[in-house]
Amino acid sequence: MESIAQGVAQRVIDLVVDALDVNMLIARIDLNVVLARVELNSLLQRVNLNEVVKQIDLNEVLDRTDLNQIVDRLDVNKLMARVDINQIVSQIDIEALVKNTDLGALMVSSSSTLATEAVDLGRSHAVSMDDTLARWVSRIRRNHTGRAEPPELPNAPEEP
Amino acid sequence: MTAPADARLLEPVPRNVGVSQPLPLGGSPQPHVSLSTGETDNLRGQHAGFASRFIAFIFDCVVSIGVFMLALSAASFAASVLTGSSIHWSRGNTWVVIAFFAWEFFYYAYFWTASGKTPGMVLLGVQVVGQDGSRAGTRRGLVRTLAFPLSFLLLGLGFLGILLGRDHRALHDVIAGTAVVYCWDAREARLRSLAREGSGRQP
Repeated sequence: MESIAQGVAQRVIDLVVDALDVNMLIARIDLNVVLARVELNSLLQRVNLNEVVKQIDLNEVLDRTDLNQIVDRLDVNKLMARVDINQIVSQIDIEALVKNTDLGALMVSSSSTLATEAVDLGRSHAVSMDDTLARWVSRIRRNHTGRAEPPELPNAPEEP
Repeated sequence: MTAPADARLLEPVPRNVGVSQPLPLGGSPQPHVSLSTGETDNLRGQHAGFASRFIAFIFDCVVSIGVFMLALSAASFAASVLTGSSIHWSRGNTWVVIAFFAWEFFYYAYFWTASGKTPGMVLLGVQVVGQDGSRAGTRRGLVRTLAFPLSFLLLGLGFLGILLGRDHRALHDVIAGTAVVYCWDAREARLRSLAREGSGRQP
């Protein structure tokens, strides 16, 4: 008897879920009002996100959802203001994240950017010194020889 | 995140006074593209000045002498392990002096013949090329290395050409038929700096 009831319930749930138009349902819900009533931080604290994520077939959910419509209706700034990012970050396994994503490569590239920045600055300093020295030498030579400006080079790029 | 580079230092680099036309690196003419609004010069191919060359040389001295000292220490350590008696190297030791000059010759000859750039030159973005802008090559690299001490032996007068000459060529450059040019792109560096500055300003 119990198994029959379970079977019937399962069948009913399947039928209801199939018949449900998620997008239409979402369209009728004011998500901001719902979110305003939810204490997100305490909710997140109580939920084992890994377990939840494991049970969800995200691809199927996403297939059936019009994400653009949801995003359009969300006040993201209000939402973010209410989320304690630090708490979420503290729950993330950074090592696994770095191992399984391109974050490592990103970190390497950012450190090489710092090196490039330092080299660029060093080279710019050197070129500025080159220029200063060349100006001094040019000035001294002009004073000693009493000559005017050196003749204009053919094809010389114009001064800005 | 660190603060973005001091953009003032990467402002458009002024043209060197009395510098000749940029050499076509690699022996073929290179487009000298200027930005429509940035007006930052592309230094590539222009004769490098005294400061860049001198700093590169100092860096090479540090690197080559450092490596030589390390090699001496390693030899001393190996000798003490193998024979049980330690060796103390002194600057007066003829073999050390010979080994030092041989090492210095190898260091400069290898880099100038292979790529025209010693580690110091790579850091400062300068390169040895033929006076026509072509690759320095083995012969010119070797001649330059052999002629390099001459510039010192003439009480440093061999380097005066870098300061006074239009092409900033030292005595060893003239003998070997080489020139030292910038091989880094100042325009690119300027754009990188602007990009960093832009990303640093974003909330």
